[in-house]
Amino acid sequence: MIGFRLSAQRPPDPRRINDVVVQRIEHVYEVDPALMRDHFQQHDFPAWDTRRIVDSRWEHLAWMHAHWADSVVSGEELMSTEE
Amino acid sequence: MTATLVTDPVIDELIGICGPDNVFADKSSRVNRARVPAPFPVHRWAEHVPDVVVLPTTAEQVSEVVKLANRHRIPVVPRAGGTGLTDGAVPLRQGIVVDVKLMNKILELDLDDRTVTVQPGINMLKLNEELQKYGVIYPDDPASYPCSLVGGRIGTSGWSLIGGRYGHTRDLVISFQIVLPTGELIWVGDGGGRKVRKSSTGYQLKHLFMGHQGTLGIVTEAVLELVPRPEAEFAAFFSYPDYETAWRSTGALARSGLATLAGVVLFDEWKLAYLRRDDEAYIPQPDDVRCVVATAMYGTTDEVRPGAKRLLRIGKDTGGAYLGDEISQGDWASRHDRYATPLHGRLRDGQVVPMSWHCEDASINWTQLPAVREKWHDIVARLGDRFRIFDDWGMFAYTNAAFKPWGDYLTEIDVGIWEQELDDEAWDAWVTAKRDIAAVSIAHGGSISACHGACRAGEVDLVPEEMGGGWDVMKKVKRVLDPLNIMNPGKYLLDQAYEDGPS
Ligand SMILES: Cc1cc2nc3c(=O)[nH]c(=O)nc-3n(C[C@H](O)[C@H](O)[C@H](O)COP(=O)(O)OP(=O)(O)OC[C@H]3O[C@@H](n4cnc5c(N)ncnc54)[C@H](O)[C@@H]3O)c2cc1C
Repeated sequence: MIGFRLSAQRPPDPRRINDVVVQRIEHVYEVDPALMRDHFQQHDFPAWDTRRIVDSRWEHLAWMHAHWADSVVSGEELMSTEE
Repeated sequence: MTATLVTDPVIDELIGICGPDNVFADKSSRVNRARVPAPFPVHRWAEHVPDVVVLPTTAEQVSEVVKLANRHRIPVVPRAGGTGLTDGAVPLRQGIVVDVKLMNKILELDLDDRTVTVQPGINMLKLNEELQKYGVIYPDDPASYPCSLVGGRIGTSGWSLIGGRYGHTRDLVISFQIVLPTGELIWVGDGGGRKVRKSSTGYQLKHLFMGHQGTLGIVTEAVLELVPRPEAEFAAFFSYPDYETAWRSTGALARSGLATLAGVVLFDEWKLAYLRRDDEAYIPQPDDVRCVVATAMYGTTDEVRPGAKRLLRIGKDTGGAYLGDEISQGDWASRHDRYATPLHGRLRDGQVVPMSWHCEDASINWTQLPAVREKWHDIVARLGDRFRIFDDWGMFAYTNAAFKPWGDYLTEIDVGIWEQELDDEAWDAWVTAKRDIAAVSIAHGGSISACHGACRAGEVDLVPEEMGGGWDVMKKVKRVLDPLNIMNPGKYLLDQAYEDGPS
């Protein structure tokens, strides 16, 4: 069990992606906080929990593939062998 | 019929049938079974709360509950997962909700004749987890795969995301047992044999009792199709600079004749604009990605690999750019939660507000898709001009035929609605918009609904028009089978069957 670590709590500063989206953690796009002002407040979320959700999302997608079929065929691989 | 019909003695009788642990008259059990995820007039919630909820465990108990309801003339509403989007499981006149969730057993697995017999409360994901061990699956795959149940799939005659390859609910349910509105238990299928897929004996009753939204009885057991578990899955997502190219490419991909092709879906520019707001896969896409077409294949590896090569070629030759494995595979695996998760939308100034998701669905032929799309977006835009609580989340068109992915398309427009702000005026405008959307579908030779059913306020008004002469037959069937109008009364305008009083 890991104890409290400030760096695991506080997400990095946001980087602007476009007019309405910012990013602080890889794969996680966030609505620009300025758009969550009038009716819906943005919540503070610990960085470790965001990362946990991202990881569990990958696990879920892998589970869904395996649930339906034994293997997944790659389009990139098929295109690279196309003469 | 009024709430007072469910008196304490009636509740005692229900307890005698279902047992003391399976009858609920408390507020939370009832209030939680008053609605489904479709936008709901939350300001009128109280009108839909049932008087009592029962959770039977056997067909005989269901039959006894329905007989009791006939004796006391109390409405009965069947409910499975409660995910139906046409309000089928929403009580219109209170009464008894028969929730089939505890009837969730696998009764028989027949690997020789390739069937599995189940109770109606089982969920497809849970069933397939069990079937996986035997190298077979039950391939009914709605976007609500993790949460809808077999009884509700039959009650709605559902549509499956991979129906182009494996068929839809009506093709995959071979036969079933149903409690008629007067309480008798019968089996219906193609003819009499419970595991027979094709028969010419008698009327084809299976289809009559498929998609009736609980107005003709309660399914208590079903024999389902088993298919070999696929060795290989392939998904390819293509991007396009404009709708016209994407639409033509969709047609070419769907008509390819590739037997493993399970579905082709076209996302329009509005859908892409919507996805660019919040969706990990689409935010980073360049501006010239305006439409996307997604495809999926299943089968043996020996079939899927060469088929996939051909599919990639067709996509490219018709103007599509492959979006890569990460998006193709990841988005396909996300097909069950993509629409349920965005619980917020935007006002026109961009501010985020809590919104629930609603979709209007129709069956539309390929040639009509561009015109229908323009008209539907216009209807939703006019609604948004009047009320800020509606947000156009775009459209998709998904191959709709069973076993052959061409011809017509499940066509959906997704609309975000800020439910808490609904009042009578906004609700009426919404209902009018739904009616207008349905009218466009009929005018273009389509059908009001491909998968959800058409019994919600708005579209239901046009069901007689779509059914034509069949509407009178529908009313006669209802009246003969349900002489006291016990089963899900008020749905599908079927009160009209009793206009000169009950039989
Ligand atoms: C996120 C999401 C995605 C969806 N995607 C799809 C999709 O891809 N394809 C699709 O077809 N639908 C889809 N739907 C709609 C819905 O899931 C289907 O209509 C599903 O078939 C309903 O099943 P249910 O178990 O939730 O039924 P319920 O909502 O409980 O009931 C549906 C109807 O069937 C009746 N009924 C229930 N049980 C029985 C029974 N035992 N006997 C007779 N009648 C009964 C009810 O009275 C009601 O009229 C989606 C819904 C959501 C929320």
